[in-house]
Amino acid sequence: MNRKHLALLLLAGSIFVPQLQAQIKHVEMRVEGMT
Amino acid sequence: MKQHLQRQSGVANVDVSLIDGKVEITPKEDGKIEPAQLLKATYDSGVSVAELDMTAAGKLLKDTSGNLVLQLSPNQSFVLAPNELSKGLEPLVDSSTVVSVRGQLYKKPAGKQKKADVAAPLKLLILEVQKKE
Repeated sequence: MNRKHLALLLLAGSIFVPQLQAQIKHVEMRVEGMT
Repeated sequence: MKQHLQRQSGVANVDVSLIDGKVEITPKEDGKIEPAQLLKATYDSGVSVAELDMTAAGKLLKDTSGNLVLQLSPNQSFVLAPNELSKGLEPLVDSSTVVSVRGQLYKKPAGKQKKADVAAPLKLLILEVQKKE
């Protein structure tokens, strides 16, 4: 495998690896007085 | 209350468990959700919040007062309440590392206080550091 193929493979891999995105992912509350 | 919360911006889904009083809120994919709004909306629907936890990812920086801050976007950041876990994150301040944490944003004050001050700025008390990238 030449360098070009290897570079393309690495690029494709980095696209498909999920990145940790800066955002709120989940919110959970404990509430009282709910009927 | 469920309908009230679902109307808030950024909310994709709300799950309510009547048995244990647990409300799980899933943000939309862009994650643009405002916890203070959720807290207010819950109180406005006549239900009192005992505790609000969230899982979020962001970069660490220090504000002008020297407080450690988890910044999710230029418009959204949370001051971290100091504890052992937040101290452990200090070396990552101003780095490009994105940290995923689970933390407590609100806890109802103990005692027979009639209504909690939901307008006060929320501080994030880190309970668990989940991932660093």
